[in-house]
Amino acid sequence: MSSDFAEVHDELRVVARDLLGKAGSGAGINWRLLAESGWLGLEAPAALDGADATFAEVAVVLEEMGRAAVRSSYLGAVVLGVGTLNLLERTPGRDELLRDTAAGAVVPAVALARGGDDIAPGEAPFRIERSPRGLRLHGEAAFVPDAPDAGRLLLLARDPGDTPVIVDVEPQAGGIGRTVQPVLDATRRFGLVTADGAEVPEASVRRFAGDPQACIRRLLDRAAVAVACDSLGLSEAMLDATVAYAGVRKQFGRPIGSFQAVKHACADMLVQVSVSRQLVSAAVQSLAGDGADTCVAASMAKSYACAAAVDIAGKAMQLHGGIGYTWEGGVHVYLKRAALNRSLFGSPAAHRKRLASRYGVPPGSTVSPAGLTAR
Amino acid sequence: VTPSPPQNAAPSDLGEFRATVREWCRAHVPAEWRQAQTGASDEEFVSFQKAWFAELRRAGFAVPHWPKEWGGGMSAAEQMVLYSELAAHDAPRLVLAFVAIHHAAATLLAAGTDEQRLRHLPAILDGEIWVQGFSEPEAGSDLASLTTTARKDGDAYVVTGQKLWASGAMHADWCLLLARTDSGAPKRRGISYFLLDMRTPGIDVRPIRQATGESHFCEMFLNDVVIPATQLVGPENAGWQVAQQTLGAERGMTMLELSERLGHAGFRWLVEACARPGPGGARPLDDSLVADRLAIFETEVAGLRALSRRLVERHDAGTAGPADASIVKLYYSELLQRMMDYGSEVAGLAAHTELRKPVSSGWESGAWVLDFIGSWEWTIPGGTSEIQRTIIGERGLGLPREPVGR
Repeated sequence: MSSDFAEVHDELRVVARDLLGKAGSGAGINWRLLAESGWLGLEAPAALDGADATFAEVAVVLEEMGRAAVRSSYLGAVVLGVGTLNLLERTPGRDELLRDTAAGAVVPAVALARGGDDIAPGEAPFRIERSPRGLRLHGEAAFVPDAPDAGRLLLLARDPGDTPVIVDVEPQAGGIGRTVQPVLDATRRFGLVTADGAEVPEASVRRFAGDPQACIRRLLDRAAVAVACDSLGLSEAMLDATVAYAGVRKQFGRPIGSFQAVKHACADMLVQVSVSRQLVSAAVQSLAGDGADTCVAASMAKSYACAAAVDIAGKAMQLHGGIGYTWEGGVHVYLKRAALNRSLFGSPAAHRKRLASRYGVPPGSTVSPAGLTAR
Repeated sequence: VTPSPPQNAAPSDLGEFRATVREWCRAHVPAEWRQAQTGASDEEFVSFQKAWFAELRRAGFAVPHWPKEWGGGMSAAEQMVLYSELAAHDAPRLVLAFVAIHHAAATLLAAGTDEQRLRHLPAILDGEIWVQGFSEPEAGSDLASLTTTARKDGDAYVVTGQKLWASGAMHADWCLLLARTDSGAPKRRGISYFLLDMRTPGIDVRPIRQATGESHFCEMFLNDVVIPATQLVGPENAGWQVAQQTLGAERGMTMLELSERLGHAGFRWLVEACARPGPGGARPLDDSLVADRLAIFETEVAGLRALSRRLVERHDAGTAGPADASIVKLYYSELLQRMMDYGSEVAGLAAHTELRKPVSSGWESGAWVLDFIGSWEWTIPGGTSEIQRTIIGERGLGLPREPVGR
């Protein structure tokens, strides 16, 4: 990566940290502010009022959102929404939605799987059926990120010819149901989306521009890496907060950070953060540059950074002592978010299983490990 | 055939006792109490706890660890049977009476006067609730640096200061209080131990919301609170020594119950969670990695249970080592945390939608993520894991002490 890019990223990081930091951890963020900052349309084409940037820039914002434990629809609208729209065939309807999303005028949410923990394309959560009165949508998807507040739902469905497509519907449309699924992490919003014979006008069916399975796999990898970015950011926030606290909290007449038990625990946190950063950066670059081994890099980043974040936030709670266990202390916001991130878009065990499925496969073999190569 | 772990090698009288307890549990553990105690109000919690305590007391199961003459007298082996059956039947835990039957009783038995014992031990059996007033904002791990003062004034002491992490203070009738009586002495030699009637004027109790969303911890502000000199436990300025004497003793007894609970409720639920088909239809249990983890936990729980039993037996025999209680507390709290962590991981996103757990339940309630977060209530209070490791290294192994500033 050129140093120009690094500079742009540093600038973006500084701006994001400042803006998101002002909101305070666990707070909601004004969507208009995100639109004005240009963060919604980073990956949208310039012709549609986007910035023609890549996932690498989105990743900077995601990491800072994790650091600030911000409440926003960025995962649903940008990581999944813009990500999906960019992979669809160009039509006036698709262009308009992408433009509106980049401008913050419409906030989409995307349902790719039946649950929120799939890591490889499985059965599409919805299906389009022919009926005497035209096409009808059926199905259900749980834990759809940011669905409760979305103004548009992009639902992955199997069309009557068994091809995966995206159905673009209004949440208020007849036959579409949307229920909030409250979770312990108050900074995240999920919805259960159902379709029970909803009408599917021809214009609402959007087709993938390439191989649908490859596109879905890419979107799931994007989601996994986005969550890993978030976990990396929140890990850094917890390390910073713990180091600051250990430097000022005194017991036995000296700062607790001067005790090796505390000092060594902080050192271990930094080691984990450092490894996370490398793995997350590799996965981000692979996604941004269309790398060949994106699945591998994504699984490594997701499994390591999200497991490490739980350890790190847990250690932060421990080293903050009683204050760390209070609601007011705020560490719990991070621990809950870290625990949720760990389960979202594939547990560490599921991602490690995907990595391990490559072992022992002879080079040049036609055997394709689950979820790794195009089918 | 080699018998399984020693605690399972039950002589016939224990077998009979187990059958008795089992039958009692079937008849007396309230049906559907978990649903009723989920989202229960403070009043509902208190009345439920008091009723359950009274029920256990009628059966002779409320204070099995007390000496026989005060209403207890069970051996460690019998207590393990009692606690394992209660856990196996998902009985409620004695959350409200916890400090009364453990900390308060241990203190009175070890250092109280006859009058104090006669006044309080029967009252505890009748439902008297206690709270511990030890920690302060600036005296957590370094408890001996506490600054709440008790000034001698005739036949009484006048106490002023602030206490923190007083669990259940809003429901308590009495408080175990540490306060400084000699500010000129070295810090461990100027502390006294008091029994404080919570109805005394000048006490202000404010609940603190915890990471789990519950609020059983409290701040206690003490403003010119008058305590009669007869409520001093042990000699003046010997409070630190009294606390040290009784803390370890009480810890062993609580660990016995909690270990059985973890083994017979926590581990069982973890196995059940892993046997439930996931979103894809497969059971986590059929994954050999999951099965392996469960077997590791089962082994660790077996070790913990044996360790807890040995601690109680050595304590009863007067042969407990100076770090024995710390070893059990450290191992229990971190094992609890790891098991709840694993439960959260296996149960996946669905576990995050469990927003409340039943009050009156154990540290493991089946709401995995909440229980995981709640497990820090074991690794932080009562001496953090870091402090326990220092105690084990210094008092248990005789390693040189860490340099400590003053």
